[in-house]
Amino acid sequence: MLRFHWRLPQGGERPNASRAHQASLPETGLPDLDVQVPFARAAEACGIDSLLLDFGWSKPDPILLAAALGLATTSMRFIIAHRSGLMCPTTFVQQLNTLSTLIGDRFSLNIVAGHSPEEQRGYGDFLAHDERYARTDEYLAVCRALWSDPRDVTFQGRYYEVEHARVNTPFRSAARVFPEIYMAGNSPPARTLSVTRGSCWMRLADTPGRVAADAQPVIAGGRDVGLRFSIVGRPTRAEAVDAAHALAESAGERFDDRGGESRFLARSDSVSIRAVDALANEEWLTPWLWTGVVRTHGAAAIALVGDPDGLASAILEYARAGVTQFIISGWPKLDEMLFFSEHVLPRVRAREAAGEARPAQSLMVAGERC
Amino acid sequence: MALRFHWSLSSAGDHRRGQRARAVQSGVPDLSQHLAFCRQAEASGMDSLLTAFGFHRADPIALAAALGVLTERITFMVAVRSGVCTPTLLVQQINTLSVLTRGRVSLNIVAGHSPHEQRYYGDFLSHDERYERTDEFLTICRRFWDADGPVTFSGRHYSVEDGRVNTPFVSDARSAPEIFVGGNSAQAEALALKHADCLWRLPDAPERLEQAVAPIVDSGTEVGLLVSLIARSTTGEAVDAACALVESLAATSRTTQRDFVARSDSVAFTGTYARAATGKDAWLGPCLWNGAVPYLGAPSIALVGSAEDVASTILGYQRMGVSQFLFMGWPDIEEMSFFNEAVLPLVRAREGLGH
Repeated sequence: MLRFHWRLPQGGERPNASRAHQASLPETGLPDLDVQVPFARAAEACGIDSLLLDFGWSKPDPILLAAALGLATTSMRFIIAHRSGLMCPTTFVQQLNTLSTLIGDRFSLNIVAGHSPEEQRGYGDFLAHDERYARTDEYLAVCRALWSDPRDVTFQGRYYEVEHARVNTPFRSAARVFPEIYMAGNSPPARTLSVTRGSCWMRLADTPGRVAADAQPVIAGGRDVGLRFSIVGRPTRAEAVDAAHALAESAGERFDDRGGESRFLARSDSVSIRAVDALANEEWLTPWLWTGVVRTHGAAAIALVGDPDGLASAILEYARAGVTQFIISGWPKLDEMLFFSEHVLPRVRAREAAGEARPAQSLMVAGERC
Repeated sequence: MALRFHWSLSSAGDHRRGQRARAVQSGVPDLSQHLAFCRQAEASGMDSLLTAFGFHRADPIALAAALGVLTERITFMVAVRSGVCTPTLLVQQINTLSVLTRGRVSLNIVAGHSPHEQRYYGDFLSHDERYERTDEFLTICRRFWDADGPVTFSGRHYSVEDGRVNTPFVSDARSAPEIFVGGNSAQAEALALKHADCLWRLPDAPERLEQAVAPIVDSGTEVGLLVSLIARSTTGEAVDAACALVESLAATSRTTQRDFVARSDSVAFTGTYARAATGKDAWLGPCLWNGAVPYLGAPSIALVGSAEDVASTILGYQRMGVSQFLFMGWPDIEEMSFFNEAVLPLVRAREGLGH
């Protein structure tokens, strides 16, 4: 069954704030449990699988936020974003295993290698893009070894070395030995890592054809493919397009910060963020896939815009391209999640049950998914 | 300034864990036991509870976050080892914790006590180098807490360039967490003088302790004692309880401690153990007893006596300049209740009187 995740709203979130402006707000750094706990409970009721908790200098620590939200909910799950290289893998495993004893195994990981050398240096990390992936590989190797045998792990690599490492706090789960690992990034090393160390390759949206082509090696490697995008859903396509255009017009209106994203991009070494920015030269990539606010709201603002039937069709098209998981965002997140849950999700589920989500035969054979 | 009292959460709900080897101690926190202990501490005039760090324990930051959102008043003194996390991320985690608990977090900075355990965490430095790294670590953390703008630092162990953390340290009273540094070595002292509000030491015979405390307090850093408690209604009952404790401990725990100390490079742990292991007089002062140390390790050095004995001893330490205490007991919750009901009122009645 297709799985749908949603991004958790940040403190002080404003739909018409550009990504750069939102990141600069003091409220963004504050956990806002008065908003986030009700959102998590709403997500439970909406059939959302997990909530994505971002990582970055402008946001609170997602592991501790997951602990607080997990204790305030009963079944909601969390995808905890984590940058490798900022913590020793043994400590990371110990912290996550502790989390599993506190809220159960209701979390997975979104491993990111960093997207901005500038921000990385603020965390004391001076490695280049490809080296960060090489380090992430070692990082996850140590983590996976500790999850396989928490009593004795020795590892000697270029970036990490541990000797007879052990952690007495186990990963508590009836279902899994280690948390599900989403590897984020469009670059080849990210895709490779998702197969060698991860559970799912999580990428930003593109046209179904290009997603299908990129997904092939991941599916062949036996891993899931996940897609990140935003959504603008309204009862009719015309209303949705109007809402999208209104969002684009309001973006930066109050904050006069349209240049923030391009300044960020100029300093970023992320392949995926650059790729989506290049896509934004065209406003509509398909009848549903819209890039109108990518250059203000950031790469994850690449959006599906439409009415419930159209959105369901677009999602099922991705499913046939091999995508099985979706991390969605919206403006505002709560309203879009409620609309999605009420109008889009039932249509997706009905058509999924009718076999419309089944990937093309070639993909199924390649990935031995039947 | 009124004396301040803290308690260790390390053995709450499992007061016998100390006699087992660390490798077989449970790392699964019992949340309901811990919560009951937190509530007792809130009712007992405790300032904070220590969540310790070690491979055999739950992660102290995550544990403090969970307990913090489920309690109202108690502060969590979170143990932090340098070298297992970058300072920027540590500040981000501690600041997040401060928002979640409305400032109820302080830090107990430790440099590690066992080279073999440090290697579990990828740390291959020697004792003195670990302190040097901790100095850099705290220098960077301090700058994040003090700075208005981005933090840049270039050292031997850490470099940070234009580091920013958008999550502030939130507290009604402070702009940075209170910082405790643990250790008996000269390096620990120097680190505390430079960065800490208070140095945790293990106690020693009064004459030796007095000499060690005075220069630190004179330099403006507080000194606290990490010490266990066996207080009962009468001196005799307390001494009997101390003897009964030792008799109840498995003989194997002696071997466990000997093996632990043999591999430790902690001055506090090895020094305290070495004095206790000679088997000579277990009483270092009228109330200070190290009889359990060969079985339970250095932190089990204890104040043993009646409420009056213990209160007087605490006030004696105060005269030396000691201003804070971090206790453990067997079991902790009963010992904490007795302390609150019988010892603390005596201390509070007399501490302001220039006794």
